[in-house]
Amino acid sequence: MTNNLLKIDYEKYSLSNGLQVILYPDHSVPVVAVNLWYRVGSANEKFGKTGFAHLFEHMMFQGSQNVPKEGHFRYIQEAGGSLNGSTSIDRTNYFETVPANYIELALWLESDRMGFLLPGLTHKKLDNQKDVVMNERRQRYENQPYGLAWEKLFSNLFSPDHPYSWPTIGWMEDIAKFELDDVRNFFKTYYTPNNAALVVGGNFENKKTKEFIEKYFGNIPKGNSIPNIDAPSQKLIECKKIIHEDNVQLPRIYLGWHTEKAFDENDAALDILSDILTQSKNSRLHKLLIFDKQIAQDVSSFQYSAKLSGSFIIASTAKPGITLAELKEEITSEIKRLINDGISKDELTRAKNNVKSSFIYSLQKMELITDQINHYNFYLNEPDSFLFDLSRYEKVTAEQVAAAAKKYLLNNYVELNIIPKTKR
Amino acid sequence: MIDRSKAPSPFKNIPFQIPEVRQLKLSNGIETNFVRKEKLPIVFAEVIVFSGSKFDPLDKRGLCYLTSLSIDEGAAEYDALQLSEEFEKLGTVFSVGANHDTITLSVLSLKENFERSLELLSKIIIEPRFAEKEFAREKKKVLDRILQLKDEPSFIASSAFEKRVFGNTYYSFPEIGYESTVSAITNNDVKNFYISTFTASNAKIVVVGNLREDETTELFNKNLSSWNTDSENKALFETPKRCDTKFYFVHKKNSAQSEIRIGHISKKRNAEDFIAARIMNTILGGQFSSRLNLNLRENKGFTYGAGSSFQYYKDAGLFEVATAVDIENSGAAISEILKELRVIRENISSKEIEFAKSYLTKQFPSRFETYSQVAKNIESLILHSVPFDELFNYTQLIESAANDEVQAAAMNNIFPDEMIIVATGDREKIFDQLKNVSGKEPVELDMNGNLFT
Repeated sequence: MTNNLLKIDYEKYSLSNGLQVILYPDHSVPVVAVNLWYRVGSANEKFGKTGFAHLFEHMMFQGSQNVPKEGHFRYIQEAGGSLNGSTSIDRTNYFETVPANYIELALWLESDRMGFLLPGLTHKKLDNQKDVVMNERRQRYENQPYGLAWEKLFSNLFSPDHPYSWPTIGWMEDIAKFELDDVRNFFKTYYTPNNAALVVGGNFENKKTKEFIEKYFGNIPKGNSIPNIDAPSQKLIECKKIIHEDNVQLPRIYLGWHTEKAFDENDAALDILSDILTQSKNSRLHKLLIFDKQIAQDVSSFQYSAKLSGSFIIASTAKPGITLAELKEEITSEIKRLINDGISKDELTRAKNNVKSSFIYSLQKMELITDQINHYNFYLNEPDSFLFDLSRYEKVTAEQVAAAAKKYLLNNYVELNIIPKTKR
Repeated sequence: MIDRSKAPSPFKNIPFQIPEVRQLKLSNGIETNFVRKEKLPIVFAEVIVFSGSKFDPLDKRGLCYLTSLSIDEGAAEYDALQLSEEFEKLGTVFSVGANHDTITLSVLSLKENFERSLELLSKIIIEPRFAEKEFAREKKKVLDRILQLKDEPSFIASSAFEKRVFGNTYYSFPEIGYESTVSAITNNDVKNFYISTFTASNAKIVVVGNLREDETTELFNKNLSSWNTDSENKALFETPKRCDTKFYFVHKKNSAQSEIRIGHISKKRNAEDFIAARIMNTILGGQFSSRLNLNLRENKGFTYGAGSSFQYYKDAGLFEVATAVDIENSGAAISEILKELRVIRENISSKEIEFAKSYLTKQFPSRFETYSQVAKNIESLILHSVPFDELFNYTQLIESAANDEVQAAAMNNIFPDEMIIVATGDREKIFDQLKNVSGKEPVELDMNGNLFT
């Protein structure tokens, strides 16, 4: 049954300008989801110009030649649709889910900003969105307890010339400096049909939809080839320890190791390792630190894998009176125990069952399905990879999990301590 | 060349069938609402117990919340870890949540594992262990969480605001409780809270899944028929009065932004002008293209986002504007919000009303996409004792609201001279700004929203 559900029946083709198109009709839903990925993220930025991919995403909602400022939101909302965009280190996505009869509206809007963004651009819009993004940075990172942890961790895990070393939101001083020419150049370089993939999912007819796509996207000119990303290989020559004082009551430790990029040999095994360490009440570190010893308030971990590389992160907050050194000692001992004694069949089965059901649960929303299709198309060049992806987890053996831990978690790492500000 | 200058029109609307809600007859009489949804092999089931934190004793605020954390820490033959392990084996997501009115326990499971998932859920509801050891750990966790919340500006602003709006009534405190009141809670308090409130006659069920009606009835009868049906409990609510606009602030040193909340008590969910008020708020602050967000974000750049909402508790309603703004513009942002609250009472254009109606009616089908979304729609009607008819007539109710009814909803639900205004930020940087807007010195509150005496 799982096999039938996870087999995606799609049609993929390219327009003459290089735009990839993937159609996934499903007549059982009343909606159509349009999901567009541009192969550009913060990893395409340069040192001193960080945060631009994300600021640019904001500019894509500021109107284009035939769409007024705020028009994109207004059109889709008036149609009863939902919409947004997001920027990661590797890619930027734009998506709208509309009642199925509004499919043409969504395609028109996406095509107008892909082809004709610059005529609508003004200095006032850019200044406004710089203010908005600076407030986004304050709200989501600077004014949140532990909110600056990720950028502290990654800027130390990666060397300054590696594009994963800066945060997607960017450094404040860089955001403040952007000019209209930055928008124009970025648009011409990266927002070309040959650097994008359009997924349409839901209740529509293939033939008619293909005509709409050709009509609206077909005459957008092809751009130049996309500049390569320089990403020097990363290895920590020694362990690093960073201490950061913040507005927090309880100290928190973060440990980070270099591992493997998305869909590499041990990527799935490292995901399962993370589940076994911290996913549930029963997971190793949760049981040890929160249940038995009661020295931690929380613990979490993940294999954070992307196009250029991956890292494994463990984070845990100390209970009052407990030092981060104690916490670290327990965490590293548990990792050694896992490497030496291996994991049980039972632990592995539970982790796999949870992966399997989460695949099924994820099929409830067309917005998420189309985004996942684009995800597979981007990383694997094959949209129909749900079953392949699930099989990666099903094939993981207990030995492989322990071996992956041994291969990576005994290497040099970055340790970040977020501690309460010293009272003055 | 194609003409791109005009937005394409929609083609023929695809009719949307709202799923049928069926009432199941359970042997112990619990109201059970069932929706058959076949697309995927999934079942979502939730048991809503009307045992919210409004039943917390004054000196033991946080009791309901702590009960909700303790209830799945072991049940029947399973201790806490075994219970969690049983759910994991199934790939079932169990969750429990507490608010002022209810504790809700739910499972999201694959169809093939639903029978076993329901069996475990029922054990948690009927036979929780409440072991002393687990209680002590969960209580400490809550106390340490309360400590951590001292650094979360958004939480501080919201809870100080709610404290001022709700005065001494039982909606005035955060569900998690206060350090002093949680410290006073014992495991016996938790057990007694459970015994007095967790009864079948005090609960309602919503099931959305790929199941037949008869098999669902049978499964619930099998698992929940032994749940006791003692009579339900009551709490008394006296609606607090609105008062003249007042400026408050909570000092948070080194804040990177100011968190702002503005609003007052308002009508309950079953008010006659509920639909008109929803249309009005959609225009004022209920979505991205609203007046508040377009002004504060897209025009002024003061914030990443601003919005307003009517929030409905079982016994009260709350109108609230919420935003986080940069420090230098804290005063200016409040002025702009107060201006919008006045202006909406003076004029709402028919174009705006058309937009809001179109938005609300056309997005309606997308509120039934996931299994839990369907259940949550039903849950909110149950909580407020609103007949299910509203769901089936929703589109028509929105469309038939007259323009002057929408305008009247602003007059009768937004009171610009009776606002409670709370800002959380650095005293040195925001005090004068607030004073300039208000003409008076703002009043300082502690972290819990109390006045300094």
